[in-house]
Amino acid sequence: MNTLSSIEKPRAASAKALKRLSPFLSYGLLVVVTLLLLVPIIWLLITSLKQNIEYLSYPIVFLPAVPQWNNYAQVFAPVYNFLRHAGMTTVLAAAYSTLCVLTSALSGYAFARYRDVKATRRLFGIIIALLLIPSIVTMIPSFMIFAKLRLTGTYWPWILWGLGASPYHIFLFRQFFLSFPKELEDAAEVDGCTPFGTFWRIFLPNAKAALATSFIINFMWVWGDWLTPRIYLRADNTTLAVLINTVFVNPQGQLLTTLTISGIVIYTLPIVVIFFLSQRYILKGMVTSGLAGR
Amino acid sequence: MAQLEGVLSRRPISRSRRRSRTFYAFISPWLIGFVLFAVFPLAFGFAISLTNYDGLNLFNLNFVGLRNYTTAFQDPNVAHTFKRTLVWTALNTPIWLVLSLLMAIIANRKVKGIGLFRTLFYLPSVIPAVGLVWTWKILLEQNFGLLNAILDYFRPGIAVGWLTNQAMYGVTAMAVWSGLGAGMIVFLAGLQGVPDELVEAARIDGANSFRVFWHITLPMMTPVIFFQVVMGLISAFQQLTIPWLATTNSSIGVPPRSIYLYMINVYQQIFGVGRFGYGMALLWLLIAAILLLTLAVFRTQRYWVYSEAGEQA
Repeated sequence: MNTLSSIEKPRAASAKALKRLSPFLSYGLLVVVTLLLLVPIIWLLITSLKQNIEYLSYPIVFLPAVPQWNNYAQVFAPVYNFLRHAGMTTVLAAAYSTLCVLTSALSGYAFARYRDVKATRRLFGIIIALLLIPSIVTMIPSFMIFAKLRLTGTYWPWILWGLGASPYHIFLFRQFFLSFPKELEDAAEVDGCTPFGTFWRIFLPNAKAALATSFIINFMWVWGDWLTPRIYLRADNTTLAVLINTVFVNPQGQLLTTLTISGIVIYTLPIVVIFFLSQRYILKGMVTSGLAGR
Repeated sequence: MAQLEGVLSRRPISRSRRRSRTFYAFISPWLIGFVLFAVFPLAFGFAISLTNYDGLNLFNLNFVGLRNYTTAFQDPNVAHTFKRTLVWTALNTPIWLVLSLLMAIIANRKVKGIGLFRTLFYLPSVIPAVGLVWTWKILLEQNFGLLNAILDYFRPGIAVGWLTNQAMYGVTAMAVWSGLGAGMIVFLAGLQGVPDELVEAARIDGANSFRVFWHITLPMMTPVIFFQVVMGLISAFQQLTIPWLATTNSSIGVPPRSIYLYMINVYQQIFGVGRFGYGMALLWLLIAAILLLTLAVFRTQRYWVYSEAGEQA
């Protein structure tokens, strides 16, 4: 007992000192980690303002002599078709996301509100298993089928995938619709709503947060996906993710790295902005479904 | 009375049948999509894997039985890519797990403005793969990259080939950086699920922060860690985009041998050389490998993953 208390005392004192210091320690740690994480992004922004010659100099030039703001205007020069492909990417991503959100919401609703139907549990098990199956293993054989149907080089595969819903988003909507009170359904039924009407007019308008989350995650997936458009689309209708790697070359065909980097900044910016505006919702969506990313 | 009972019992049946019909109608888009875009392609891929299909010529199409599979087991290229994939997985998953858990612990402090820091921590995970790769290409480039420029300051002329012969480490760095935010938010949710009473009780018993973490927080987090291990392994095994884009010039050419992963070889066999049948066999072997690995990890679950007694039943 005696020895115990003698150990306790200095520890209590140091703990007290630590407690007073701890906010500073916390902020110090937080700032250091943030800076470490953001170094690549800062270097990206600096490089985007360099002349290509400055990037290619040895030893390296840390800062551009004159910031080349013109790089950002150059990205939109007509020869590169950047804006046209940005438009096509937006249309493709929006079309896929809209369809996928609607079909996934409908399925998620069914899985959440029709749990009295016997098959629900087994089918939902399939959904969970599908979350674990790598998407790549279905994507390549699908390509052969779509090629046979002469649908490669078009946006049809995305439309069809969108209509087919996504297990990840079904899961997201199911978790969301589970929390709705039973009375809502009963009231709708008493008022003579059809089953679809109950979903469409009662549940869906109350699911704006989940709808937005799902749409944004889908949109970000199409915007960021490189492999699928690389395999499925042609050079003249592909998405920005594919275009941007090779399009910024000089007339001799050499890659202009700093221009590519400016293009990368412009390509990434919409995603970052969307994330900042909506992070409260999408982070929650990612955590509840327990799956980050897709 | 009997009649009344009959009426009463018939009505629920018809209602449940109606509900069952509605349920299937609602999930039909997914169910049809699942059959058309998952079951059918997988079966089709398996059928193709039993042939010598080259993607073009249907006249030379022959049934070759399991020959593609036996070839795969003798193919030194497959052995190499499989070993590289194991190294990649063994390197990526633990580093990513530990760093994202540390980040979650740091981000779990309850100080003012923590929301902003969490957002910034997550930022790298938002950047799409192509943006990620270019961001890191200019850091890791052998002659013009920032990292070698800094290392050169200490050891002149060092010029490490982070994207060539040392690509395993260079690409690991970018993949980990990109996954940290996503790993962090899941761990953060897990940390916030650790009951405060337990932590308080341990503190009153005189445990210091480290001991609280080691004996309370970490065991309570094992289900989340388990989940993350499974997801990390699965995604590491099928990694293709990041190493491919990072180590090839303008996405032309093939990655160096040091980072020639399993899926890179599959992609190359199918779209590079047109060996569709063989590529499909390789794909099916990957599915089998991932399945076995996942099952193996699930088997270890009861030795180290905490579960509430009631959940076991």
